[in-house]
Amino acid sequence: MNELPQQLANGLILGAMYGLIAIGYTMVYGIVQLINFAHGEIFMVGGFGALTVWMVLPDGFGLGAAIPLMIIGGVLVSVAVGTAAERFAYRPLRGAPRLAPLITAIGLSIVLQQAVWMWFPDAKKDVPFPRFQGDPVEILGANIQRGDIFVLIAAPLCMIALGLFVNKTRSGRGMQATAQDPDTAKLMGINTDRIIVMAFAIGAAFAAVAAVAYGLKNGQVGFRMGFLMGLKAFTAAVLGGIGNIYGAMLGGLVLGVAESLATGYIGEIPGMDLFGGGAWKDVWAFSLLILVLLFRPQGLLGERVADRA
Amino acid sequence: MTTDIPMDKTTDDTTKVSTPEATPIIPLPHAAARGLTVAGSALALIGTFLAWTWTDEFPGNLTVTGYPGGLQVLTLVGSALTLLFALAGYGIRGLGWLTPGGKNSPVLLAALGVLGVTGYAMGAIAQELGGLVNLEPGAWVSGIGALVAVVGALGLPVDQPYDAGDPDPHLWGRVRHALTAPEPRRAKDLPSWLEILIIAAGFGVGLYVFAYGISTEYSELFIGFLIIAAFGFTAVTRAGLLKRLSALTAKHRNVTLGAAFAAAICFPFTQTNDQFALIGANILIFATVALGLNVVVGLAGLLDLGYVAFLGVGAYAAALVSGSPASTIGVTFPFWAAVLTGAVASLIFGVVIGAPTLRLRGDYLAIVTLGFGEIFRITMNNLNGNSGPDVTNGSNGIPQIPDLEILGFNLGVPHDVLGHELTRSANYYLLMLVFTIIVVMVFRRSAESRIGRAWVAIREDETAATAMGINGFRLKLLAFALGACLAGLAGTVQAHVSYSVTPEQYQFAGPVPPNSAFLLAAVILGGMGTISGPLIGAALLYLIPAKLQFMAEYQLLLFGIALMLLMRFRPEGLVADRRKQLEFHETGQLDVPEDKPLPEGATGVAKAGA
Repeated sequence: MNELPQQLANGLILGAMYGLIAIGYTMVYGIVQLINFAHGEIFMVGGFGALTVWMVLPDGFGLGAAIPLMIIGGVLVSVAVGTAAERFAYRPLRGAPRLAPLITAIGLSIVLQQAVWMWFPDAKKDVPFPRFQGDPVEILGANIQRGDIFVLIAAPLCMIALGLFVNKTRSGRGMQATAQDPDTAKLMGINTDRIIVMAFAIGAAFAAVAAVAYGLKNGQVGFRMGFLMGLKAFTAAVLGGIGNIYGAMLGGLVLGVAESLATGYIGEIPGMDLFGGGAWKDVWAFSLLILVLLFRPQGLLGERVADRA
Repeated sequence: MTTDIPMDKTTDDTTKVSTPEATPIIPLPHAAARGLTVAGSALALIGTFLAWTWTDEFPGNLTVTGYPGGLQVLTLVGSALTLLFALAGYGIRGLGWLTPGGKNSPVLLAALGVLGVTGYAMGAIAQELGGLVNLEPGAWVSGIGALVAVVGALGLPVDQPYDAGDPDPHLWGRVRHALTAPEPRRAKDLPSWLEILIIAAGFGVGLYVFAYGISTEYSELFIGFLIIAAFGFTAVTRAGLLKRLSALTAKHRNVTLGAAFAAAICFPFTQTNDQFALIGANILIFATVALGLNVVVGLAGLLDLGYVAFLGVGAYAAALVSGSPASTIGVTFPFWAAVLTGAVASLIFGVVIGAPTLRLRGDYLAIVTLGFGEIFRITMNNLNGNSGPDVTNGSNGIPQIPDLEILGFNLGVPHDVLGHELTRSANYYLLMLVFTIIVVMVFRRSAESRIGRAWVAIREDETAATAMGINGFRLKLLAFALGACLAGLAGTVQAHVSYSVTPEQYQFAGPVPPNSAFLLAAVILGGMGTISGPLIGAALLYLIPAKLQFMAEYQLLLFGIALMLLMRFRPEGLVADRRKQLEFHETGQLDVPEDKPLPEGATGVAKAGA
């Protein structure tokens, strides 16, 4: 179980989820310089949206066939919450000092958590999420659970789609222009408000996909899951270079692999035997963030945003 | 906001100048409106002496005729205030000092407060006892009186002329406008002993109101208290009394500080119940930590989302050296050494966290501190001997922290001081007060020093500050480490007050303050960069959840909503720093120079380097 391919596979699966969530942070940050602190909660409501679809589907409906519907459900909920947050919470504060939207985001994140906790049936504790039955599949010497295959397929597809969108479509190029210089972009006839909503929507949609992956992997979703996942995903976004969408995915993968390797191997280092294992993985992930900030503050791939002082 | 409408004097009995547009919301003759207000508030006042309900099942016993109790007292105080403000409008000699600023808006606000609290009381009685039949005539007298007073107050002319740009706003705009008031003129110079006396009286009233709020015994009374306190406070502000008082406090700053602490020392002597004294001690801990956070957030503008972890470091350090049987170290330090240990441990963590992140943009600090807060909790959970070295007993925490004994004075047992029994909590309240004073002094001295001004400069514009020769990184690190150290200081007392430290006390957001989200909210609600702001914010944020247990389930939800609304509508907080107020509301300022058209040929003023 402690073999290297297995650890790498675990890390990649985890990292792909971090990467998908990190896209949302990095896109919003790249365009409006706002840490959307509530993004972890948008991920969380996406999971509950997908779960709701599964619950209303008739019994006997196969999970494989249900997954596209669940993704649609999750994406709808996440995008609705994400764009509503943009419209009603962040947009009125555009131009206010930076502290204001950040604190609004904290408030929003608490509200979303509490709303799910209070009103989703039985969500006061973790709620079971459907899982694929069956033995794990062996790929390149690593055992991969059937549910985990989902994220390994979905993450590359999402990245390809996003890359095409950003580079080939008019809206995507408008997004790049807005990220570089919102004022000039506006003068060039780009509807920057629409671009910002779009960034929130894409980020929310990717977070919902990640939430489905999370549910399939862990077999449960909970109202609290957004906090730590959001924090890690932000770490991933910084790791890859905030504002850079490919960096976000790369950062996610690196973070996931590092976390998994730390879980597996740190305990074997002499003198560190008490610091290995799953209990310390968050501590190591976080230490990685500090190290990256110390030695390469612009992130692995470098920031895309010009620093406007 | 200059208006070039010709102004003429109306028949107002005050010297206030108003325009013909300043018509009241309800068109009533002036004398009738004021008469109605006075009559209404007098009626409401009389009503409180009658029975409001027939049974003492409703808390506070509102059944006695001739002796107001519970919610009736609040209506009584509110209607007395309304009456005073309304009478001051007649220009009665000796009452003029009540309304140096607004004349009529305080009347309206106070009347609304009376209506609010009386209406709430009537609603609560009807709801809890099942129907309006449970109301006795007294309640109706007060209720109708309050309503009449509000109608009358709405008929009074507004204090300020309408904006020239919008002379006839819609109804809601007009109601909002009627609640505004002009700034008071400069006060006459009084002899300084009288001024000091006024300051002392002001703090006396403050202490009384605060102690009353803490010792409200049932949630209906606390809600009523909040309603009347909010309206009454706004009314007093609009009347210009607060401005006058703060002008005095600005003049006698040391006296003010002394009076504030004297009032704070008096607080435990107003409490006989240990439970209420404990609330006081916890508020003080919360407020002190919030003030420490204010150095970091308010002065230096660094967003620290894991501040409670520094409190935790201090508390754990103190607990480990306290001599608790559950401590894994097994040493017992005297209290002063434990305080030093806690403060130094927090300081070290502050530097370790701050040094790598403070060189970067501010947003990174927010997320790193958030991570640190979470990691602290996880680490404390893991150091249990099972998944890590045994230091903190994991999730069980360190229980049975012994009570302190300072100079032979055991803080754990009640003592008789000046004929009043000081309970355990009251002892700790007084000990904590010493630390609060230290933190207030540190905050004040540093804010006014060269360093403090440099912090503000960095907060406003780091690039410009650096260009002026300020070493941004070193000063930010100083602010961050100082903040951490102050939190550690408070943590050492907190460990003793709460008997035990557990990892779950120090999370990002939880129902019980202090946690990082509540601390930040206290600073922002109160007002960033001020001393009194975080103290008031912390008191409110602690009292509201503690007193309104019935809404425990909704508490965090409401907290989140309140945070968002606060940022939307009053981002500068209750006690606004002048600079912050200007920053958040960049239009409509009186002291902003007028926009003059550029002279011909003055082109090329484009934003450089945009």
